[in-house]
Amino acid sequence: MLKLTIDGNEVEVAEGTNLVEAAALAGVEIPTYCYHPGLTVVGQCRICFVEVEGMPRLVTACSTVAQDGMLVHTDSERVRDARAAVMEFLLANHPLDCPVCDQAGECYLQDYSVEHGLDSTHMVDVRRTFPGLERRMIGPHVVQNQNRCIHCTRCVRFTREVSETNDLTMKSRGNHSYIDTFDGGPYDNPWSACAADVCPVGALTVKEFRFRARVWHLDETDSVCPGCSIGCNIEIGHLNEVVHRFVPRANPHVNGWWMCDYGRFLAEGLNERDLDRPQARGSAPSEEPSWAQAIDRLASFIQASPPPRVVASANLSNEALFLVRQVLRDHAGLQVVVPVERGEERKMKNGRNEWVSNVDAHPNSTGARLLGFDMVDGAGLERFATADDAPLLILDNRAHPWLVSEAAATALSGRRLVVLGRVATRLTEVAELVLPTASWIEADGTYTSSTGRVQLARRGFAPRAQARPTWEILDRLAVALGLHDERATSPREVFTALAEHVPAFGGMDYYRLATDPGLAVMGEVPHVG
Amino acid sequence: MIPSTPPLTVAPSSELAEVVFDDEMEQAVKALLARYPTTQAALLPLLWLCQDRWGWISPGVMEAVAARLALAPAYVEGVVTFYTMYQRQPPGRYLLQVCTTLSCQLCGTGALVEHLKEKLGIDFGQTTTDGRFTLLDVQCLGACGEGPVIQINNDYYTRLDIQQLDQLLDRLE
Amino acid sequence: MEPILLRARGTPSSRTLASYLEAGGYQALGKALEMTPSDVIAEVRASGLRGRGGAGFPTGVKWGFVPKDNPRPKYLICNADESEPGTFKDRELIHVDPHMVIEGIAIASYAIGANTAYIYIRGEFATEARYLEEALSEAHRRKVLGSNILGSGFDLDIYVHRGAGAYICGEETALIESIEGKRGLPRLKPPFPAVVGLFGCPTVVNNVETLACVPHIIARGARWFADIGTEKSTGPKLFSVSGHVNKPGVYEVPLGTPFNTIIDDLCGGIPGGRALKAFIPGGSSAPVMTADKVTTPCDFESVAAAGSMLGSGGLIVMDETVDMVWALENLLTFYAHESCGQCTPCREGSDWALDVVRRIRRGRGRPSDIDTLLRIARFASQGMTICPLGDAFCEPLRSFVTNFRGEFEAAIDRAEPLSPTKTPILPVRSGRGLFGI
Repeated sequence: MLKLTIDGNEVEVAEGTNLVEAAALAGVEIPTYCYHPGLTVVGQCRICFVEVEGMPRLVTACSTVAQDGMLVHTDSERVRDARAAVMEFLLANHPLDCPVCDQAGECYLQDYSVEHGLDSTHMVDVRRTFPGLERRMIGPHVVQNQNRCIHCTRCVRFTREVSETNDLTMKSRGNHSYIDTFDGGPYDNPWSACAADVCPVGALTVKEFRFRARVWHLDETDSVCPGCSIGCNIEIGHLNEVVHRFVPRANPHVNGWWMCDYGRFLAEGLNERDLDRPQARGSAPSEEPSWAQAIDRLASFIQASPPPRVVASANLSNEALFLVRQVLRDHAGLQVVVPVERGEERKMKNGRNEWVSNVDAHPNSTGARLLGFDMVDGAGLERFATADDAPLLILDNRAHPWLVSEAAATALSGRRLVVLGRVATRLTEVAELVLPTASWIEADGTYTSSTGRVQLARRGFAPRAQARPTWEILDRLAVALGLHDERATSPREVFTALAEHVPAFGGMDYYRLATDPGLAVMGEVPHVG
Repeated sequence: MIPSTPPLTVAPSSELAEVVFDDEMEQAVKALLARYPTTQAALLPLLWLCQDRWGWISPGVMEAVAARLALAPAYVEGVVTFYTMYQRQPPGRYLLQVCTTLSCQLCGTGALVEHLKEKLGIDFGQTTTDGRFTLLDVQCLGACGEGPVIQINNDYYTRLDIQQLDQLLDRLE
Repeated sequence: MEPILLRARGTPSSRTLASYLEAGGYQALGKALEMTPSDVIAEVRASGLRGRGGAGFPTGVKWGFVPKDNPRPKYLICNADESEPGTFKDRELIHVDPHMVIEGIAIASYAIGANTAYIYIRGEFATEARYLEEALSEAHRRKVLGSNILGSGFDLDIYVHRGAGAYICGEETALIESIEGKRGLPRLKPPFPAVVGLFGCPTVVNNVETLACVPHIIARGARWFADIGTEKSTGPKLFSVSGHVNKPGVYEVPLGTPFNTIIDDLCGGIPGGRALKAFIPGGSSAPVMTADKVTTPCDFESVAAAGSMLGSGGLIVMDETVDMVWALENLLTFYAHESCGQCTPCREGSDWALDVVRRIRRGRGRPSDIDTLLRIARFASQGMTICPLGDAFCEPLRSFVTNFRGEFEAAIDRAEPLSPTKTPILPVRSGRGLFGI
């Protein structure tokens, strides 16, 4: 460790820390464009100049390593003049696109221009443009506007160093250089939209979000991606109970600063809802059950003879799965399986630029394993469900592709079914009781990734219509069955109980999940990616 | 007697859509690779080899070069487009590269340029319809004491006046 | 002064090994191989030789920066990228005496412990590259290159590596990037090439003319070399003289010769007896000097004191007929074309300055333009950029505008005033009109 002074404040940093990071530790924000903690340092935008006593010229903070005893000034007149000049150079050819540019509101050019730039420009000449590259689908998910590019090369470095797909490059030179793909082909890789994330301006933007909402109108909820077992940290942008986008949230242990396109574009799916109230088949609309009645029906179903078998889900939260274990398996003595679909192989880079792979297509198969459930694949699920004519309680109608298939609809026709879900499938049409469940963003839940971390996905808005979180349905069932005296007031209570009973979660404090980048599970994590 | 310059061999686009290196090229590539500790360092020399052979660098050439040196095609294209001497389109048989920087201009390049544009009927960056000449304006060619300087393919022609220029061009088929 | 570097000019077949040997060639190499590398470096340092490519850094000191305890291979690179406007002396050397350059490369390689050397030659010098390849071939056959040179146990291979049209690749770190097979983008310094250079190994990059001096220093001694020129600017220097002179060409003079001696005595003065208006002493990146400074001695210190740079010794002479606004536009066109585009001030500033000067020339100048140009010059130089190309366009920009301010002001005064309705507000050049976007 070494000590240096930044703007009069002494700060201690590790060896090898650059001045941008050191300043951040000292509470000072140095503006940067080309610098990104997950990419190599190139020192080419020249906005991060600082003054270091003893050095005759200003130095770029990103490429200067902190030395013991350094005296750094980030706000002297020389520095302010230099920054204002670089801002003016950057804005000289930058189009006045703010009114039509998606980046507005989260644009580094806007922010630093206001803070560090002049309030007018000396540039009165015609700006250089790139005809043909001004609103181009450079790939299936990314829109390019080369006029806006500030040539920071973050996107090129992302495709070389992180996604390792080498698909973007800078062509030509000087003020006519531009970003492009080989021979103008599509920019298409599993993480393509991350280039739009790293682009500090609106030169690369995400097509699915184009013109949808102004970012300062969005509510942003910290969450976790539901797409696979890796558990990339995300932020869900929503407005008036409509989900508009997922963007990655930095977590050095899990996903670095990144997420894949598949997970990112699950966002729109959260807006689907067919099932909005408890429904009993055969009853007229005026006789539809209330929740209290539905829970009673569910309790009867559980206690019927023969007893139902339970298909749980690896998409459920730790809290819901713990209640499945406690209420359905241990108290009611029912047989429970958790189906797992291996699905596509997906990879992610963590904060150390190491590859991490998924183990399956579910956000919480690891949680299910740690809770001791029987895990089955598609064939095993089919055998479990069709072994005999016992009733089936399906806790997630999309827990596994088999459940959505025609084969399942045929095999289970005529059976007594109770199904929980959000989106209609064949089984919800024929079930005797259908209970609407909250979507990923409509309930707090913790999920255990195959990278060994318990992470909290927060609720962004209340479940629409009469949908309820699965953990809450099970908790009400527990009361109806006499297992609990009263209902739990929040998922935190359930998690606390979970942490007491399951060694892998021993000692975990729910409040810390909100502040820490997830908590590591104790002991061996089964099938770590 | 003004010397003459051999024409470029220019392969048509159809021939350069997909490129495979024959044995002769492969031998040359191996000789190049022996000069450097990394394969990447052979990139510029290999591109020259291709341009000397086919006259220009097509996407097919870039893919072949990229595959041979284990580089990404986008990377290779980034390098090719940085350097002005690699031709991205089939050029005419004679590349007329006219230096337009200060010292040559002080010696009267302006008049030569006007004459060339009129005589050939093309502007900078264009090729005559018969495929003979491509006219390019280039930066200082490093022979300022003998200006005006025009480089035709690989050869420098210096201290040209309009008459000599006409005589020269008329002899280039 | 007797010709030293250009001694073979006028000799038939001067490029051949036979001719070079007859003139005493490769004896210096033999002598150097019997000295220790440290002694060779000391001799070059004592000679006061300074880089002839433009920076003027003491060559022996540069060689001394190569760490002796570094286990990686060392590389010597001969910078034959010669692209600075007004400079053509390296081409002359290669035309007249390529073996002198090769011998210099060999001695330098021995001094720094390099067994591989590259000659990075600009792509346009196809003929000169061939001359070097032929000379290298001869040298190999005669065993003054290759393994166990002259029985000394020292091995050296020299390869010619052609550039492909980029002035920026004359900057040593961009040159290294170019050899490595990349876009020629200058690197951040530190680290310096002497420690981390080509392929991450200690590397020295020297100009052609610098290396050509080395055999003479070894053969005739540092003292002899230092006696030529001035105290701090030693040795002979090749000046490439172009523009408005009767006899343009490459002239070899001792450093410290006054410029008017070169222009009038050696080059026969200005054609038509016209008056000198301005001259650029060291290639276009050096500040332009007004005619009254023509008696300045041509050494590093005197030229710096007179407000310019000796640079590469590319002397461009302009007479009274030259429009300085036109000349500046021409130079800025060059720099905007050659900017690599990496860093903001040079990429944007070079193009912007060109746009302003072009607009002034076309009769649309504004009174604020001169201040704008000086502001650009201030903030794209002096460490604002990664490499000296920023300074390279800012120095001419600043010196032309400052020394010939009257011409710029006159061009602006001649401009038609813009009516308010014609002031561009949202300039659109996408070709589809203001609302066709």
